Amino acid sequence: MHVVIAEDSGILRDGLVQLLTERGHEVAAAVSDARALRDAVDKHRPDVAIIDIRMPPTFTDEGIVAAIELRRAHPDVGILVFSQWVETRYATELLAGRADGVGYLLKDRVADVGEFVDALERVAAGGTALDPDVVTQLFGASRRTDALERLTTRERDVLEAMAEGRSNAAIARHLVVTERAVEKHVTNIFTKLDLTRSDEDHRRVLAVLLYLQS
Amino acid sequence: MTEQPTSTVRVLLRAPFTAQTWRALAFLLVGLVLASFAFVSVAAGAFGGGLLSITLIGLPVLTVVVLSGRLWGRAWRWLARVVLGAPQPGPAPWRRQPGVFGFIRSGLSDVAGWRGLAFTVIAFPVIAIGAYASVIIWGLSIGVAASPFIWWLGHPTNVDHGVKHHSLMQFGSYYIDSWPRVIMLAAAGVLCCFIAPWPARGFTAVVRALMRWLLSPTVRDERVVELERSRSHAVEDAADTLRRVERDLHDGTQARLVAMAMTLGRAKERMDADPDGARELIDGAHSDAKQALAELRDVVRSIRPPALDRGLDAALATLTSRSAVPVQLTTQVDRRASSGVETIAYFAVAELLTNVTRHSGAARARVDVVTTPKHLMITVWDDGHGGAAQGLGSGLPGLRERAATVDGALTIDSPTGGPTTITVVLPTERGT
Repeated sequence: MHVVIAEDSGILRDGLVQLLTERGHEVAAAVSDARALRDAVDKHRPDVAIIDIRMPPTFTDEGIVAAIELRRAHPDVGILVFSQWVETRYATELLAGRADGVGYLLKDRVADVGEFVDALERVAAGGTALDPDVVTQLFGASRRTDALERLTTRERDVLEAMAEGRSNAAIARHLVVTERAVEKHVTNIFTKLDLTRSDEDHRRVLAVLLYLQS
Repeated sequence: MTEQPTSTVRVLLRAPFTAQTWRALAFLLVGLVLASFAFVSVAAGAFGGGLLSITLIGLPVLTVVVLSGRLWGRAWRWLARVVLGAPQPGPAPWRRQPGVFGFIRSGLSDVAGWRGLAFTVIAFPVIAIGAYASVIIWGLSIGVAASPFIWWLGHPTNVDHGVKHHSLMQFGSYYIDSWPRVIMLAAAGVLCCFIAPWPARGFTAVVRALMRWLLSPTVRDERVVELERSRSHAVEDAADTLRRVERDLHDGTQARLVAMAMTLGRAKERMDADPDGARELIDGAHSDAKQALAELRDVVRSIRPPALDRGLDAALATLTSRSAVPVQLTTQVDRRASSGVETIAYFAVAELLTNVTRHSGAARARVDVVTTPKHLMITVWDDGHGGAAQGLGSGLPGLRERAATVDGALTIDSPTGGPTTITVVLPTERGT
């Protein structure tokens, strides 16, 4: 996996480079601001770019602006936004229109190295990786509360796991149920929310997200 | 309401015997002395200062005259407090500018001094007429009421057209010369005693009104008091926040990091002898580290939410979507307020939503944010059981104080049974 990293904190940047290199991935460039990030992506065409939100010069939302721009300019490059905070607004902007090849994770998640690298690989492969916090907040911000209330607790758990970008098999492992049970829940969810059934992982994430934002 | 006439009658009947009546009379009498001194000294000072103003010492003299207005004002407030038992706040102390010219400039432009002078000039005739009228009316009433004694003991006589009458008074050719007539006159006098309190009380009320008008703190004085209060609140608030952050960091994150370092240290020592035990310790330290990160994030968010950089609406989007009670957020924010105002607005919503979650029992809430050319208006609505104003520990008084530091206001509409609407209006332009 070819990776570009944009992170202004040196200690974290070096740590990420080390972590990914140890796992056999190639870090094409590790930069510390949005402009250098654009140049690096243009030059290296990585599979995925890890982008911090607060970067120089203003330390506000450079990373989000750059991420949205890169998603437009290089649809084939996976974008993983990596931040100390989850902002609902950033999540909706980032996911506007399409949910493929995108991720939004809290920096904490790097502590579980395996899961973090899995998420990165999923994004690189065109999938989705949303932090549980992102999903919770999107649910909280959704105006479709009445429809969400129609779901059972289990169905909500499955929906959240779906929005995080997990496959049916992963959801089954996560909730300690059979894959058949998950499939049944998914069918129920799509029926209750009046969504078209889809088997492709990222398409169903997209369906869920579009539904939440409508 | 049927008791109204009875109570009026009672007031009229009691008037001559109430302390208030005699205090009013004493106030007018002592006031007349004070008013005379004040009027004469001010008139003399103004006249003298005016004459002297062609020379160099004229202005300082006039300055002293203006400042004496404050002194007289203080004397009047003292008199009202001691005699009437009606204390009244005075204007803010005079602020003297350095140097002789500073003294003159700050003295001549002293609003409180000029107001004191105006009071001295206006109050003098009012007091004089009031005191005179009161004394005459009381004197006549008491005199007439007591006339039987004078008539009986003093045995006054008057001779008219050669006829001798044992009479104290006469009205034309009607002589008060017999017991029935004397008693009748005395009765009229007693009746007058019940009317006599009112002129004194009326004039005193007029003087008090004048005092409230001219000897009270000016609008600017009140503003200064308000600013001092809200400033001290802001300082306290900032200190409280720092204390809270310090405690959160110290008791939470710092303690957790210490524990983590300790656990890792123990794991290092055990690594060779007991790899499985070491792995367990490292697991513990790992989850400690993740916990510390989560706590630290909460602490930082409580200082200032990072999304405020993007704008109040972005920050509120995150805040409302994290609320335990579902919140519908609508924002019409077409201009940025100052960072301070936005921060106050954000934490106001945060605290109000915490109240909604903790106290209201609401199932739904709404947050509306609208900017007008001069204000930022935030409305937080919930369908809970209301009664928010009474809720102790709701933090509403503190919120109101915080809004006041930027001249904002907070209004609560929370009838028992709900729903609750709390509105915070914050000015976005600096007032002049």
